[in-house]
Amino acid sequence: MRGQVSRKTIFAFVGPAVIGLAAVGIAPLIYAVWTSLHFYNLTKLKKVKFIGFENYSTVLTDEVFWQAMGRTFFLLVTALPLQIILGMSIALVLHQPGLTLIKTLCRLSLVLPMATTYAVVGLLGQVMFNQKFGVMNQLLGGADINWIGDPENAFAMIVFWDVWQWTPFVALVLLAGLTMVPGEVEEAARLETKSKWTVLRYVQMPFLLPGLVAVLILRTADTLKLFDMVFTLTRGGPGSSTEFISLMIQRVGFRGFDQGLASAQAIILLIITIILAQIYIRVFYKEV
Amino acid sequence: MKMLRNLLCSAALASLTATGAMADGHGWSLKKAAAPYAGTTVDVVFLLRPGYEAIEAMLPAFEEETGININIIKHPYENALGEQVRDFVAGGDLDIALIDLVWIGNFAENDWILPLADVQAKYPDAVDPKLDMDDFFPLVLNAFGGWNDTVYGLPFDNYSGLMFYNRCMLEEAGFDGPPATWQELKDVYGPALTKNGKYAFALQSKRNETQSADSFARVLWPFGGSFLDANFKSNLNSAESQAGLKFRQDLMQYMPDGIVAFDHAETVNGFSQGDIAIITEWSAFYSSVVSPDTSKVADCVEIAPEPMGPAGRKPALGGFSLAVASQADEAEQAAAYLFIQWATSKANAREYLERGGVPARQSVYEGDDLEAFKFVPALVESWQDGVPEFRPRFAEWPEITEIVQEWGTKMMLGDVTTEEGATEIGTRMESVLEEAGYYSGEKPLAQ
Repeated sequence: MRGQVSRKTIFAFVGPAVIGLAAVGIAPLIYAVWTSLHFYNLTKLKKVKFIGFENYSTVLTDEVFWQAMGRTFFLLVTALPLQIILGMSIALVLHQPGLTLIKTLCRLSLVLPMATTYAVVGLLGQVMFNQKFGVMNQLLGGADINWIGDPENAFAMIVFWDVWQWTPFVALVLLAGLTMVPGEVEEAARLETKSKWTVLRYVQMPFLLPGLVAVLILRTADTLKLFDMVFTLTRGGPGSSTEFISLMIQRVGFRGFDQGLASAQAIILLIITIILAQIYIRVFYKEV
Repeated sequence: MKMLRNLLCSAALASLTATGAMADGHGWSLKKAAAPYAGTTVDVVFLLRPGYEAIEAMLPAFEEETGININIIKHPYENALGEQVRDFVAGGDLDIALIDLVWIGNFAENDWILPLADVQAKYPDAVDPKLDMDDFFPLVLNAFGGWNDTVYGLPFDNYSGLMFYNRCMLEEAGFDGPPATWQELKDVYGPALTKNGKYAFALQSKRNETQSADSFARVLWPFGGSFLDANFKSNLNSAESQAGLKFRQDLMQYMPDGIVAFDHAETVNGFSQGDIAIITEWSAFYSSVVSPDTSKVADCVEIAPEPMGPAGRKPALGGFSLAVASQADEAEQAAAYLFIQWATSKANAREYLERGGVPARQSVYEGDDLEAFKFVPALVESWQDGVPEFRPRFAEWPEITEIVQEWGTKMMLGDVTTEEGATEIGTRMESVLEEAGYYSGEKPLAQ
């Protein structure tokens, strides 16, 4: 069979995709690696020089970098469990038989937060969480909470918006997993036990795991590169309270113009993301 | 003084060039000068601020007379530097550089902009004999358009820090005028005006250029402090600088909660809504706070120079110049120069002022029909008292401002003491300056 398709045909079909991927993904990555090994400041291009791993050493010993990284992981461990718990709950409710029209409408409405541009979410947040005329304080009975100007509240606000925007994604992925459970197996399990937890744990969970691992990987990567919403909402402030790692990299690279240092930060972030993805796959992922 | 003298000489040289042009080009007109460049498109970055809307409204007249098209690319202030740097690095389309006074070192040292004298020498027919460089406020021309004794740009969107106060709120609290000193603002006006959800004062302190320029620097200079000493080492832990920074901490009790999240918009809005009695803001916001369309307190707005500190008034100084970009081709350079010359001209200054801009022409403020512009006396006084190095104008400022923004905000939030914050800023700032070559003698101590 192999001989029936010529190499030219294979290249013709696969080549454009590979070239496209190389152009938009691999070439910039190689360039970032090159940049990270140089003193490369956009406003000092006359002084570009090879400095080996100096940028990496600066990043790894920079307290501010690790504080931003810690803040990012704190966001991850705060928002992601909430998204999984809420997403799972929504998926289980929508998986119940009956009420077809309402469930369809719910599924459609779940897409809306995901379809909202990140930057728009940030701008909405600025208005809704405004201390004086924002709807959030009105909903809290006319409370006088300073959301944007207080470090803790600003962080909580970011968690809120991240959960609002991405819980539906988790719910839809898990709902897809639930639909994979063979009907007769689930039905038999429900005849065996009245415990919904037992059904979830032993029957549904194996089918949810691949989706859950995908959620973990995608949401972790998304959180590590979370930028637009925070940039438009708090710009990393007040102080550094919402300066997550992507905002820091943008600040160094595009406001301080130190592309070399920013590239080193980005490469380290990429390595951390890959390690985390591998951990998720090894620890959680099992074939059904 | 030496620098100012050199700059004035440079300005005088430019004037001489202009005079020469006048001699050669008797009967000079914009239309004639622009004729060879009709149809040329000039790309320029504008900000979303009143001074830019003013010139944009005047633009059809220029385009009609010259046939030159001005393509305006609008950006908020925070994006303007990055967009321009990327354009110049990539050899992009911009023909004019819009330069904040703290960017000029960067732009000049990278040869992204052309010295004004070079442009005038290259395109003598484009030089308006009535350019009159001496008519610009010397401080403004020096700070906004000059670098290393060379004039690059002409002052276009010009600011001085002013004190805007709500006369009605002050009268209600028993005051017949604004505070004369920062101390008086804190000790007398602060307690009397901060009540019932209203605040005596707001100092915009958001973590961006606002933190370093409008907040941090604003309390350094009047108290005798500065970013750097004569040897270009940090001066932030000096008694004077610390006095200013500690004063800011004390003054915060009379400001709205979350002042570290206040940018210009929040501050001006708070004032315009009648929630804040006094603000120190750029003159550029005058048209916004006195317009009934955007201000509830338009009838109550009064303007005064910024309060004085122990070291004097030392008001905030900020603003922009326009310079011809070196990357533009010849027709674009000439057309860009014609536009810059027209936009900053003496002839158009009055209209620019009336439309909400703030020209840097001395002559426009000499008339006796300026009652409608309450900010003028305070502005003129401020431009005579201002500090050109209010923010150090060297190429390293973009890196240093980031450091100041981070630690200045941490100070305000109480995460670090003013001493700890000053030490951090000082160490990091000196590291940037060392890297740049100021301490090895590779670069002269710029200011």
